[in-house]
Amino acid sequence: MERVIVIGGGIAGMKTALDLNRRGIGVTIIEKENRLGGKVLGWHRLFPTFTPANEVVDTLKAEVASSEIDVRLGTCATALTEHSVTLSDGTVLDCDAVVLCSGFTLFDARIKEEYGYGIYDNVITSADLEEMFNQGRVGLKNGGRPRRIAFLHCVGSRDEKVCQRHCSKVCCVTGVKQAIEMKKLFPEADVFNFYMDIRMFGPGYEELYREAQQSYNIHFIRGRISEASPTIEGRLQIKAEDTLTGRPLKISVDMLVLLIGMRSNDDNASLAESAGLQLAQSGFMAPRDLFLSNVRSNRDGIFYAGTVTAPKSIGEVLNEGAAVADAVTEYLS
Amino acid sequence: MTMNFFAPFCIPFMVGAVVMAVALVVKYARWIYELPRADKKLMLHGIFTRRSLEAIWEVFRESLLHRRIFKVNPLLGYMHMSLAFGWFLLILTGWIEVVAYLGFTYVPLQGHVFFKYFATGLEEHKPVFNFLMDFFLLMVLSGVFLAWCKRLYSKAMGMRRTTRHVLGDRIALSALWFVFPLRLAAESLTCAIYGGGGFLTGSIGSWLSAHVGGAVLEALYEPSWWLYSISLGVFFVALPFSRYMHIFTEIPLIFLRRYGLHPREKESSFDNFEIQACSRCGICIDPCQLQSVLGINDVQSVYFLRDRRYKMLTLSVANDCLMCGRCETKCPVGINLNSLRQNSRDTMRNIPDESRYGYLASVDRSEGEGRVGYFAGCMTLLTPRTLSAMERIFEAAGEDVWWADRNGGVCCGRPLKLSGETDSAKKMMRYNKELFYKHNITTLVTSCPICLRVFKEEYALRGIEVLHHSEYILRLMRQGRLKVKADGGKFTYHDPCELGRGSGIYDEPRAVIEAVGELLEAEHSRENSFCCGASLANTVINDAQQLKIARSMAAEFAQTGADTVVTSCPLCKKTVTRGTTMPVKDLSEVVAEHLA
Repeated sequence: MERVIVIGGGIAGMKTALDLNRRGIGVTIIEKENRLGGKVLGWHRLFPTFTPANEVVDTLKAEVASSEIDVRLGTCATALTEHSVTLSDGTVLDCDAVVLCSGFTLFDARIKEEYGYGIYDNVITSADLEEMFNQGRVGLKNGGRPRRIAFLHCVGSRDEKVCQRHCSKVCCVTGVKQAIEMKKLFPEADVFNFYMDIRMFGPGYEELYREAQQSYNIHFIRGRISEASPTIEGRLQIKAEDTLTGRPLKISVDMLVLLIGMRSNDDNASLAESAGLQLAQSGFMAPRDLFLSNVRSNRDGIFYAGTVTAPKSIGEVLNEGAAVADAVTEYLS
Repeated sequence: MTMNFFAPFCIPFMVGAVVMAVALVVKYARWIYELPRADKKLMLHGIFTRRSLEAIWEVFRESLLHRRIFKVNPLLGYMHMSLAFGWFLLILTGWIEVVAYLGFTYVPLQGHVFFKYFATGLEEHKPVFNFLMDFFLLMVLSGVFLAWCKRLYSKAMGMRRTTRHVLGDRIALSALWFVFPLRLAAESLTCAIYGGGGFLTGSIGSWLSAHVGGAVLEALYEPSWWLYSISLGVFFVALPFSRYMHIFTEIPLIFLRRYGLHPREKESSFDNFEIQACSRCGICIDPCQLQSVLGINDVQSVYFLRDRRYKMLTLSVANDCLMCGRCETKCPVGINLNSLRQNSRDTMRNIPDESRYGYLASVDRSEGEGRVGYFAGCMTLLTPRTLSAMERIFEAAGEDVWWADRNGGVCCGRPLKLSGETDSAKKMMRYNKELFYKHNITTLVTSCPICLRVFKEEYALRGIEVLHHSEYILRLMRQGRLKVKADGGKFTYHDPCELGRGSGIYDEPRAVIEAVGELLEAEHSRENSFCCGASLANTVINDAQQLKIARSMAAEFAQTGADTVVTSCPLCKKTVTRGTTMPVKDLSEVVAEHLA
């Protein structure tokens, strides 16, 4: 029986493995964490429908568990060719094809030091907020209820100063979704979104954006925040420019949420070097082309699915899982 | 004995010498006449002091021996010394020789220069002069030979790149290259016909007389002296208008500098001495990271000075400089390259906007009470980990602090000054200075070397001691007010340009680091340290180019084996962070983490 190794056990890896397994192909998933699920595990609800994230992850995990897919947890791939994958403990697994589904890394908000993440209380990231939602304890550090909340878009995206020029695509709508969720939790609070552009590319996104403004009275201000600093009362003072009115702006808020971007994994470069793969300028893997071969790498027998090639939404990632299974089957026959 | 000291071939030389003398006198007289009043005063006060004697000694060391070039590369130093000192000795010994033969009698200039031609009728020979004159000629010729080699392969003399010269320089250079080989030819031919000469001209002369027919020698004799004279004449005419102006100009420059003259905030007549003392040796090119990392080849100090001298300076050349000072430390003439570039920018860009600074009058968001004032600066406010580390340090030391700008304040003025907007910068400086006085501080601490430099150099804060936080922290530690514990961490240190080369602070941050862990030096450190690339002084290169410089300079830190890169400038910290995957911290953060 042919064997395909899927590197990464997030939603892309699981979907790929399931679709391959369904066609009678032997699959091994390599996952560096001690559980399957990837980044979506940390998410509470998904845009634009507020679907609980675990509905997606748990369904995929259950299907994997009831299949014959060989899952190796707590180990990662350090090198690969089209016929083998080397694991971190030195083991070499032989195979007939490899699908790289190793995803992305969340931008480290501490690099944008001027926003005070990790320095001031109540500066959190969008990922932290989801975790708070999951744990059911959303609020200020001192347990209080926020009266004013600011979301800042494009933290670590479209920012040359931190070497991340690309758009992370999903943060705009995440910001809208989270703003609505906060407004639902704290109806008395004022919620602001500071943005450069609002990119509502998917079905239902634009509608959600309109709803945020019309039904939830969430304020959208076009302009990036330049810096945040603590006030004597323990709030956060933020400086920004409202670029639509051309005025500098200074407001105090209780909570600042940084919508952090998706950046390429640090080990993309070494994996690419081991297999002779091409990297895009952003550090993500570069597929053979962006159209008919968007799940194929530049080397036969090595494939991609999910956010290892670029930021994508969950729906797009799952589609790629199906598409790559198709491409691998075609390659193996 | 009477001698005739004129021959038609002397005319090119004589014309050249006169043109050069007139040009030099006119230039120097005008520059001195146009000096600012204060500079003239300094000059008058300095002339009859020991500074003049020190200047003479420096002229000997630098204009003749070129000691500073020896430090760059011994071979390069020898090349310059053999040309300058060799030629000087040739002239000096020549004059003594004339006196030795003829006694103290008037001999016109061309008589000295072409003495071998006119002195063929001498009955007695003084072999010691023959030897010395040949020896010094050989010395100069070896320099010319090295100069030829340098054109072909400059790396042998420690220079990766040499200057690309303009046409005028090329003409002067070619003339200079021919002067001494032609002199050798003319003198050797003279020896071949009339005998005499030392080990060089004499030997070649006897070889020629033995192997070449007398008619041929006769035919070559006069033309060789003509060519020698023409090459001298061409060189002298070109000298005041080419790079060779440096030969003479370095001398008054050394004297004026000893009297305390220096380039000012605005362009002044003194700048002429500095600009025209540049020999365009190109030693400033190699240290320039714009060249070595980005391949930008037309903005370095040598080209900036050249463009300014010939009035073809463009804003894009004047602004395309990190002002990191790496070239300035290497300049063998000690030209104040950054000051000159800065006052050029002032001339080109200083357009004060009167309406923009009205808000200054009403701003005082300072807080706290204390004799020690802390000025974070804009960049520290954008890197708040440094600010909060300083808060912890002040608290640990029990210092009462007046916070000048924790809630926002007015810029120190240096960024505007660097961009040439000197008068606008002055407004900010005046505001901050009044603020410091108003709050009665006696010590001013800043975490930003950019602010530090302008406080020290421009603010003239009487009664207020200005300290960089590295100096202040070290002082607290030495006074026993700040206790730190070492934990065996390995650190490497990046010298910020404005702190190191700019303010001469190298040891204090190192002493602080050594108190908390081990310091591992990168290959280029202290005076030789690289610029992070994000210097405020450069408004031309783009972000990608800045990043390229940051990556290239940060590569050395990983090789040290350190765990953490430490720097003491908020701007450097931000930039180095982009260039490496290693953690980058401000000195204050490291100290705050190690408080006992």
